[in-house]
Amino acid sequence: MLISACTQQNSSAQLHRDIVFAIAQAPLNLDPRYATDAASERVNRLIYQSLVDFDAQSKPVASLASWLAVSPTEYRFKLNKIRMPFHNQAPLNASDVKATYDSLATLKDSPHTAEFANIKNIEVIDNDIVVFHLKQADRHFPAKLIIGILPADLIAKNQDFSHQPMGSGALKFISWQNKLSLQRLKDCQKISLLEVKDPTVRVLKLLHGEVDLLQGELPPELVKYLQTKPEIIVKTSVGANFSYLGLNMQDPVLQNLKVRQAIAHAIDRNAIIAKVMVSSTRVASAILPPEHYTNHSSTNHSSTNHANLPVYDYNPTLAKQLLIEAGVKQPLKLVYKTSTDAQRVRFATIMQAQMQPAGIDLEIRSLDWGTFFEDVKQGNFQLYGLTWVGIKTPEIYVKAFGSKSVPPNGFNRGRYTDAELDALLANENWPAATTRIHNQLPYIPLWYEGQFAAMHKQIKHYLPKSDGNWDDLATITKP
Amino acid sequence: MKKLSFSIFGFWILAVLAGRLFQLNPNHIDLNAILSLPNATYLLGADDLGRSILARLLRGVEVSFLVAIIVTAVTMTSGVLIGLIAGFYGGKVDQILMQITDIFLAFPGILLAIAFAAVLGPGLGNLMIALCITGWVSYARLTRGQTLSLRNRQHVQAAESLGASVPRLILRHILPLLASILVVEATYSLASVMIAEASLSFLGLGIQSPNASWGAMLRDGVRYMLVAPHYVLIVGLSLMSLILAINLGGDYLRDKFDVRTEK
Repeated sequence: MLISACTQQNSSAQLHRDIVFAIAQAPLNLDPRYATDAASERVNRLIYQSLVDFDAQSKPVASLASWLAVSPTEYRFKLNKIRMPFHNQAPLNASDVKATYDSLATLKDSPHTAEFANIKNIEVIDNDIVVFHLKQADRHFPAKLIIGILPADLIAKNQDFSHQPMGSGALKFISWQNKLSLQRLKDCQKISLLEVKDPTVRVLKLLHGEVDLLQGELPPELVKYLQTKPEIIVKTSVGANFSYLGLNMQDPVLQNLKVRQAIAHAIDRNAIIAKVMVSSTRVASAILPPEHYTNHSSTNHSSTNHANLPVYDYNPTLAKQLLIEAGVKQPLKLVYKTSTDAQRVRFATIMQAQMQPAGIDLEIRSLDWGTFFEDVKQGNFQLYGLTWVGIKTPEIYVKAFGSKSVPPNGFNRGRYTDAELDALLANENWPAATTRIHNQLPYIPLWYEGQFAAMHKQIKHYLPKSDGNWDDLATITKP
Repeated sequence: MKKLSFSIFGFWILAVLAGRLFQLNPNHIDLNAILSLPNATYLLGADDLGRSILARLLRGVEVSFLVAIIVTAVTMTSGVLIGLIAGFYGGKVDQILMQITDIFLAFPGILLAIAFAAVLGPGLGNLMIALCITGWVSYARLTRGQTLSLRNRQHVQAAESLGASVPRLILRHILPLLASILVVEATYSLASVMIAEASLSFLGLGIQSPNASWGAMLRDGVRYMLVAPHYVLIVGLSLMSLILAINLGGDYLRDKFDVRTEK
C-alpha cells in the first residue's frame, strides 16, 4: 500500500526535493549475500530487513523476528506479526528466510558462506516461524543472522540482486547509473547516493548545493572549514571503528614483548588525535569500544570498562629503556606497511617522527590497496595499519587472535599464538581476554575515529552513527 | 629573456646552497604549525604535518635537479649511441633499431613511465629507471636523422678513404657536429624530466614520504586548497618558474647555436 502511494505525480512533485548524499566510494554489490564493502553493507541495511540487529551496546536484538534458543543447537525465530512486504508487494514469509540462508550455503563465491557452514538445516513451521538446526552448539548464532532477507521466488529465478535488489527495507531501489537512486516508502522521498571520490570536490559540491550532505572521509581541516560556513551544519558522534597497528608475531624482534611495549610507548596518540583527527575521536584500548556489552558483563566474569587496562602513554625514554632491556640494537629498524590513502600516510609519517626519539627507525611503505592487503593476509609485513569497521560481536577476538584463526581460517594475520588467551576465548571470558590482549600487544591499539556528517542547515533528522552506518536516511528530511 | 632565465636558475641554485648552509630540516614535524601561513618561523608557511614548506621546497628542487641530470645523462648517452649506430650503418641495423624506437614512440611517454613506475614500484631509483627507459627515444631519432645526413658529407668520406676507424669517424667527425643540437635537446629534456618526475610523484609513484618532492607537495597541497591555498600556490609557482627558466635557457642556446639566427 505504501509503495502504491508513491504515484508518478507524487514522485514528480518530490523531484526538486531529492536528497543527494555524496559518498567517497559507491557500493560494489547490493546483494547482501555477497556484499563486504562498507558502502554496500550500509545501503543494504536500508534496502533489506534482517532477522537480527544490534542495540547501542552491540547486543543482538530482534529486528524482523524475535527468537528463542530451544537448545544450543536449535534456534526458533518468529517473524513480527506486522511486517513490511517486499518492495514488489509480495509478502515476506518464513519460506523467504529459509530460501535466503539455504541459498547462502550453496553459493560458491560468497564471502559469507563459511559463516553459516554450521547450519544443519532450516525448518519452516508456518508462515511466521522458522527453526535453525545447527551442527554444533553456538551461543552467538543469532548475532550472525544479519543478512538481508530476499524473496524466495526471485532467488529461484536467479535474480541479479547485486544490480536489481528487491528487499523489504525502508528504502526501495529505483535505479543505479551515475548515482544510486532510492525511494523511501513512507513518504516517497527520493534519495540519491552520488560517488565523489575527491574530498575537496565533495566539499565544493556541498557548498554549491549540488549535494545535501556528506559523511566521513574528509581531512579534519576540511571539517573545520565546513564548520565555519553559516549555511552548513556539522554533526559529530563518537566512533566505534577500531584503528590499530598490527604486528607480525613471527618476526624474531617483534616476538619480544618489551619491543612491542616500546612501540606502544613510542606513539603519541593524544597528539595525533588532537591535531590531525576530528574532535570526537577517542583513544582506543581494545577492538570493542568501552560501551560494548562485553565490557559491562555482570555474569560469571569480572567486567572491564577499559578503565582497568594499562595505559600506553607516550614516553620515548621508557620506550628506549624497554628496547635496551630487550637487547635489540638501536636504532631498531622496522618496516611499516600502509595503503596509499593520504590520511593513512599522514598518520604513518607522524608516527615515524614520534618513534625516532624512542630509538625506532620506521620505514614507511605505502602500497596500493590490493598489494597492501594481500601482504597483510600473507603475513608479509613487520607492522601494518588497518581499521576494523562495524565489529559487533566478541567473536572477533577469536577470529583475530585465536591460534587456529590464521588466514584463510580467520583474521589472525600476525600469526599470534597464545595458549592462555585461547583458553580465555574458549571460555568466552571476554573481559579477561581483552586484558590479556591489551597486555600482550599483538595489536598496538590506536583510536576509534570520530564520526561526522556535514549537511545543509535545512536538512533535518540525520545524525552520524558510531559505526558510520547511514540508517538515518530512513528518517532524513529536506523541507 | 636570457637574463630572466639565468636569474631564476641562479636563484634556485643559490637557494639550494643556502638551504644546505643553514641546515634546514625538511622532515621536522611540528603538529602545532599544521598548514600555518607564512610567518617568522616558517617563511613560506607549513604543510599538513607542520613541516617547513621552504625547507621542503629546497630539498625537493635538489631531488628534481638530481633526477633531471642523471636521467638526461643516461638517456642522452644511450639515445645518441643508438642513433649513431642506426644512422652510420643504415640498412637492417637501422631498420631494427628504428622499429624498436617506433614502438616506444607509439606510447605517450608519460603513460609508459607511469606503467614502468607502477610495475617497478615507487621510489627514487625506480622512478629514474622508468624515466630512462622512456627518455632515450627522442635522442635516438634526432641523432639518427642527423647522422644519416652527416655520414655522406665529404669530410667524413675523405676520412673513411684515408682509413679512419669507425669509432674515430663517429667521435671525431660526426659527433662534434651534433653537439650543439644535442645540447639544446638536453636542455629541453631537463625540463621535461623535471615535469615527469613531479607527475610521477604527484601520482604517488615517485619519491616516497617523508622525502620531499615537488610532485608529492603539489598532491598534498591540492587536498588542502580550500583551507591553505598558499601551500599549493607556492609549490606550483616554484615549479613553473624553474621550468620556464630552463626552457628560456634552451631557447637561448638554440638561437646561439643556430647559424642563421647568428647572421
